[in-house]
Amino acid sequence: MGGLPTNRTVNGFAIDLENSKTMFVAMRDGLFKSADAGASWARTGNDLRNLAAVTINPKKRDEVYVSTMDGTIYLSADGGMKWKKQR
Amino acid sequence: MIHCKGGVMRGGFYFWLLVGMLWYLHTCVVQGQEKPGFMLAAAVQGSHQMHGSNKNEGNDFQHVHALAMDADGRTLFLGAHTGLFRSDDSGRSWKKVTISATRSGFDVMGVTPDPRQPKTIYVATHEAGVFKSTDGGTTWKEVNTGLGGTDVHGLAIDPNEPQKLHAAVREKGDGIYKTTDGGGKWTRVDDGPQGELKVLTSVNIPTGMGGIFLYAGASTGLQRSPDCF
Repeated sequence: MGGLPTNRTVNGFAIDLENSKTMFVAMRDGLFKSADAGASWARTGNDLRNLAAVTINPKKRDEVYVSTMDGTIYLSADGGMKWKKQR
Repeated sequence: MIHCKGGVMRGGFYFWLLVGMLWYLHTCVVQGQEKPGFMLAAAVQGSHQMHGSNKNEGNDFQHVHALAMDADGRTLFLGAHTGLFRSDDSGRSWKKVTISATRSGFDVMGVTPDPRQPKTIYVATHEAGVFKSTDGGTTWKEVNTGLGGTDVHGLAIDPNEPQKLHAAVREKGDGIYKTTDGGGKWTRVDDGPQGELKVLTSVNIPTGMGGIFLYAGASTGLQRSPDCF
């Protein structure tokens, strides 16, 4: 389970319903992605911070949304690499 | 006798036992097998509470707790301190959703769409338990029969059996509750993970004993447990 920051609250969690080994964790430190059911994690979306929640579009699995704690919404269309501010 | 196999977590058990961070009452490895009970899945000690931080005055949401998309992939739902909101344009604009005609001001802690029925959405609230909509969020009804309390911080739906959900209740009646009839009746099944729970999700990873795993995001990190309570 390496790769997630220590001493931090996990605020949000999302999975790819078609491939449950793909997971995202939203934290104050940013967004982290696992491709192996949580065995290892890597930061994605390097500029994202103060995240409260994350979700995956079940019909477009590369489409990922996050919200910051104060409600700024970002969208990624490539599985979490590039992000666009929506609101 | 219950037997669960949890390969990913097994190796980490003894380490976290040493640092005293295991939720020892319900997490154990018996003869190499993982039994029901949440285990720490991420290296976390201590906690950072988010309430009261990073507030943006004038923001409609104040403090966001949850984000979810319906099964059709059309509508985003957002749970916040100021209620439930929906967006039909990929998050650019949001409208507040009325959950109750008689009560307002719900702090929405979790939003859980049914993965097979796009019109069916569940929300978990801080004050009034669980609400269910079967018309895409237009109307809602409380589905709290059997819940020991009304402060629900997490709500997980089984992707294989969407009538089966788990709810995490805090404060009065705290613990994990399970329903197998879409919220018709809840039964307490476990004490739940260590720390303040933020999100609860059923993940379609077989435990090897007929069930799948529940993942819990909490102030103590990411934890998981077989759902065979």
